[in-house]
Amino acid sequence: MAYLTQPDYVKYVCSCGQLKPITNLYFCRHCLKIRCGFCICHEVDSHYCANCLENMPSSEARLKKNRCSSCFDCPSCFHTLSTRATFAQPRQDPAAGDAKVENKQAKKMYYLSCFNCRWTSRDVGIPDQPVASGGWPERTNPYTARINQLLDYYKAIAQQEKQEKLDRERKKFAIRGKYITLTDKTGLTGAMARNIAGLPSSESSSSAIANFVPSVASAEVEELPEDYHLREVNLKQGDTLPPINTNGKCLSYHVPEVKIISHESVKAGQVADLLLKVTNPTAHEMTLRILRPADSAEEVPAPPEDQEPRSIEKSLEKSLNLEKDTSWSKVIERKPEMPTVSQICVPEVTLTLAQRDDAAEYDDDPQHETSDIILWRKSNKLALRLKVTTDPTAEVGKPAQVAFRLQYSYRNTVPPSAQSVQHRDHTLNTTVILDLGSVCE
Amino acid sequence: MELQDTYYNKLEYVETASGNKVSRQTVLCGSQNIVLHGKVIVQSDAIIRGDLANVKTGRFCIISKGSVIRPPFKKFSKGVAFFPLQMGDHVFVGENTVVNAAVVGSYVYIGKNVVIGRRCVLKDCCMIEDNSVLPAETVVPSFARYSGNPARLITTLPEAMPDLMTEFTKSYYQHFLPTTVN
Repeated sequence: MAYLTQPDYVKYVCSCGQLKPITNLYFCRHCLKIRCGFCICHEVDSHYCANCLENMPSSEARLKKNRCSSCFDCPSCFHTLSTRATFAQPRQDPAAGDAKVENKQAKKMYYLSCFNCRWTSRDVGIPDQPVASGGWPERTNPYTARINQLLDYYKAIAQQEKQEKLDRERKKFAIRGKYITLTDKTGLTGAMARNIAGLPSSESSSSAIANFVPSVASAEVEELPEDYHLREVNLKQGDTLPPINTNGKCLSYHVPEVKIISHESVKAGQVADLLLKVTNPTAHEMTLRILRPADSAEEVPAPPEDQEPRSIEKSLEKSLNLEKDTSWSKVIERKPEMPTVSQICVPEVTLTLAQRDDAAEYDDDPQHETSDIILWRKSNKLALRLKVTTDPTAEVGKPAQVAFRLQYSYRNTVPPSAQSVQHRDHTLNTTVILDLGSVCE
Repeated sequence: MELQDTYYNKLEYVETASGNKVSRQTVLCGSQNIVLHGKVIVQSDAIIRGDLANVKTGRFCIISKGSVIRPPFKKFSKGVAFFPLQMGDHVFVGENTVVNAAVVGSYVYIGKNVVIGRRCVLKDCCMIEDNSVLPAETVVPSFARYSGNPARLITTLPEAMPDLMTEFTKSYYQHFLPTTVN
């Protein structure tokens, strides 16, 4: 999505090993790592209706099964229904008798209509409403009683189990006091007596359990297909609606963005020119180095785990009431396969990128440089000319991808904890994979 | 990849002081009711119906070839009334698209051959894919990507949508160049 209308030519490696365009990644300012949608914690901030944009408290949304109370979907095309008004003579109710004389003038009546397929609520015999919104008759679920019965049953079971557990624990750690109690004298409590007699421990829950009639299958259900359990699960397709996160922690505000300006077609055994544009999105000057991609985890120097991020992390944990369990994050950290067909000739220079300046838009033309690598510079942008060498044995038609590691300086602007006044500049690494089409003849 | 340069005939286009580039081959009805806020490109054969009601666009809007921008109407018991059409900044309208919306927010991408029904509301940072039909009075919320006939929400857009649209419309404007006259 980094290109809006084009495929994602440039992908970054997330710390979990996924390859994602920069727009789908986040940057954690506390642990200084790149995170994708799969390795961050999602939280629903607010529920809203997509049609009327009305905000709804989450408890209410749960109660109403995530439906807006005033907007309805068309039953045939799922478009949102619109309310239409008509002037209709109110139907004469035979039961009303003589009262009809008062209602002689036309009354505004409302019905729902779909502007896409022309379905109306009159088609299915829903009577018109005298008010514009709300008051539409709701059909009751024929199985409501059964569902409530099931819910009661499960609640009773849960309660019973909880009670049993409590009883067991009480028995285990019964504290003997100095004084002899009544139960010690008789050696029995009410609950224990019931327990010994093999009766359920509580009276109230027992009725729900006793009255419960188990469901009986009324129809034959088709068997699942043979490969259902063997098919590989694509976990990436699980999430249908990625949440919107607008608190500005987007990666594109913290990590230098790389874009391809253009490139020569990649041919086996030949050197191709590659023009890249690198943008510094931060408000601080940035130094950059382009390096060879690291093959293993050891080669990449881990982000400096100095006191500052850790203390922030701790305070964050405390404030968010999070229990830190990093064992899972270690497990899922994988390394993606690095493309080996083509390689970038790594320039031995350190590049400096100016900070982002919104007024620079009105600047003059880009400054052209005489350097071999830098093509031009314009405020916080830099165009680079790099060389890509391709393996002579590369097969024609194979995807030509090239990877490199971007080492950049990053100034952390998160206010540090009160005690430590340390430098907040870090050197971070990120791996970028570029898609250069396929190997040509 | 960077956008390719698109060249236009310098004689065909009128460039205003605020940077608007409007083709002479367009149909601008009621031009006194049309406000283009600067650096707007209106390409050939586009129709803007300012005679029906006011049409306002923000900065860096692109109205592609053959598209129609037409204020919406509403039927009342006593005839019809037209409503003004407002468009935010950094809006892209694709080729042969009809826009009858009441409001188009900022950073909105509308593909080609799209029909936006009358009195639709497109909130900021949304996207309508090519060949979609948005029925009348639809509301498209922010960061939603709509597609199909009738257009429905298919996915959401990344948080960086404002930056993406700004970058896209600005680079489109920069790469929209006059052919050099020999």
